[in-house]
Amino acid sequence: MPESTQSRSVSAYLSGDAVRSALLHVFLYGLAFLMAVPYLYTISRSFQPNELLRDPRPYWIPPLVGEPITLEHYQYLLDNTLVVQWTINTFIIAGGATILIVAIDSMIAFSLTRLDWPGQGAVMGIILASFMVPYYMNIVPLYQIVSNLGLINSYWGVIMPAAASPLGVFLLYQFFRDIPVEYEEAARLDGFSTFQVYTRIILPLAKPILSALALFMFVYNWNAFLWPLLVLSSETAYTLPIGLVNLYQGNIDTPGLHMAVAILGSLPLFVIYLIFQGQIVRAVQMQGATG
Amino acid sequence: MGLRKETIEGILWSIPYLAVFTVFLVWPAVKGLYMSLHTYPNKFDLTETEWVGLQNYVELFQDPVFYNAMEGTLLFVAVSVPALVILGLVMALGVNRDVTGKRTLRAIYFSPYVLTVAVVALVWGQVYSQSYGLINYYLGLVMENPPGWLTSPDLVMASLAFMTVWWLVGFNFVIFLAARQSIPERLYEAARLDGATGWRAFKDITLPQMRNSVVFVVMVQFILQFQVFAQPYIMTQGGPSNSSDTLVYYLYRSAFSQQQFGYGAAMGYVLVAILILIAVVNFKVIGDSNA
Repeated sequence: MPESTQSRSVSAYLSGDAVRSALLHVFLYGLAFLMAVPYLYTISRSFQPNELLRDPRPYWIPPLVGEPITLEHYQYLLDNTLVVQWTINTFIIAGGATILIVAIDSMIAFSLTRLDWPGQGAVMGIILASFMVPYYMNIVPLYQIVSNLGLINSYWGVIMPAAASPLGVFLLYQFFRDIPVEYEEAARLDGFSTFQVYTRIILPLAKPILSALALFMFVYNWNAFLWPLLVLSSETAYTLPIGLVNLYQGNIDTPGLHMAVAILGSLPLFVIYLIFQGQIVRAVQMQGATG
Repeated sequence: MGLRKETIEGILWSIPYLAVFTVFLVWPAVKGLYMSLHTYPNKFDLTETEWVGLQNYVELFQDPVFYNAMEGTLLFVAVSVPALVILGLVMALGVNRDVTGKRTLRAIYFSPYVLTVAVVALVWGQVYSQSYGLINYYLGLVMENPPGWLTSPDLVMASLAFMTVWWLVGFNFVIFLAARQSIPERLYEAARLDGATGWRAFKDITLPQMRNSVVFVVMVQFILQFQVFAQPYIMTQGGPSNSSDTLVYYLYRSAFSQQQFGYGAAMGYVLVAILILIAVVNFKVIGDSNA
């Protein structure tokens, strides 16, 4: 008797939730594996000597005869290309844009939510309406303006248009608006100036959203492609994405090099992603919640 | 009576952003209209303009290259947007269930999003390669002549779209996951008492509750994917035989290779008109239906 009950419960268990759960795991992890395959492929091929790469077989684990693993592609890139310079350029541009965005966006969001002046609604309305302007529509006139300002081939030519993005203003506006007014009133009674309210009350309270915005903007500007391609014309001024593509188009048949470039080009941001994953994801989710 | 102190302060705090916003976003949008109504006969002196009225627009609508680019763009959007939305939703609902290693899955699904499009193109150029590509090696084991993913006019747009889904699906996944997690569990408990589980719970609770995020994601993806540029620019240069040409790529070529600035600016405006139309249709179709 107990045996049959047990076997029935086991089979019921198997046919129901357990099977469904197992299938779900197989599906989700299978998907994760498929998504990771290009990474594994890139890493393994970036370390393979050209003899192996010419073989159509994708050696996931290089055979142990001959030269199994090589650093020649990485060595070549570091010796013969400006990949280090490009990385520095990208840091300056993405970092500069991020700092500028966080500073000016938080200032105007502060002004629009915590100070009271006529015309605020109209200003916010115009900024919101500019969301409808797709970035690429503007590139031709923007190029002329940037060129007239003498900013072609300069970091500022990339940074300034990036700083015009209304996204940060919108996100910070929503957050600042919901900070209770009591904090501010208490501070004013203590004799805080407007600047002190901003630096000592609002900014510290907004730290999570400021850091999420900063990381998102850093990633976004690090990866920007079309605009830097237009503005940066000399090889020494390239950002990583532009430099990588230039290398790629110059060496069409060197797979090992391509893969090593891909690794070197994504490594800095990948490290940042691994460290700050939570905040970057949060920034994306905030967009979904507020947009 | 002069201006109130707070009014002056409010304006001062807004000025840094408003200055950047005006010069690098509003001004180009206005200037673009002017440019689209002119031609630039002298390539070396862009101050020399000639009024042509709507001629650029008229020419555009008679331009076979424009229609070809439109076709390529629409094909790309038709493959990438539904896949990006549906796969993102499936991943989010899957991970939301009782799964071990949610954090790992989330990290893997989101990770390609932090890669620059240049790296994505480099890696997938190898994966798709006809001679030594990953896909065709395995396909070659089971079929005679595996197709050329980037060299066949019928396949190239779908291949670029597939790669784009891999790259960007994590963004939608993260937004959907947050939206799903904010649905109160009691709604499902109540539904279960009424016997609504599985598909019915999805249709009657999950989907309506996530409506805002779905509208947001569909909208964002339409607008982003409609502006596809870097993938064909880097990987195929619009080929083979112009089958992977897109609107932004054509805009880029017109303005910056052929230096037809008026024509390029007109194309920018037409692009905006199309995007606004898409946004309106989107709102009508998916925004209202469940309100």
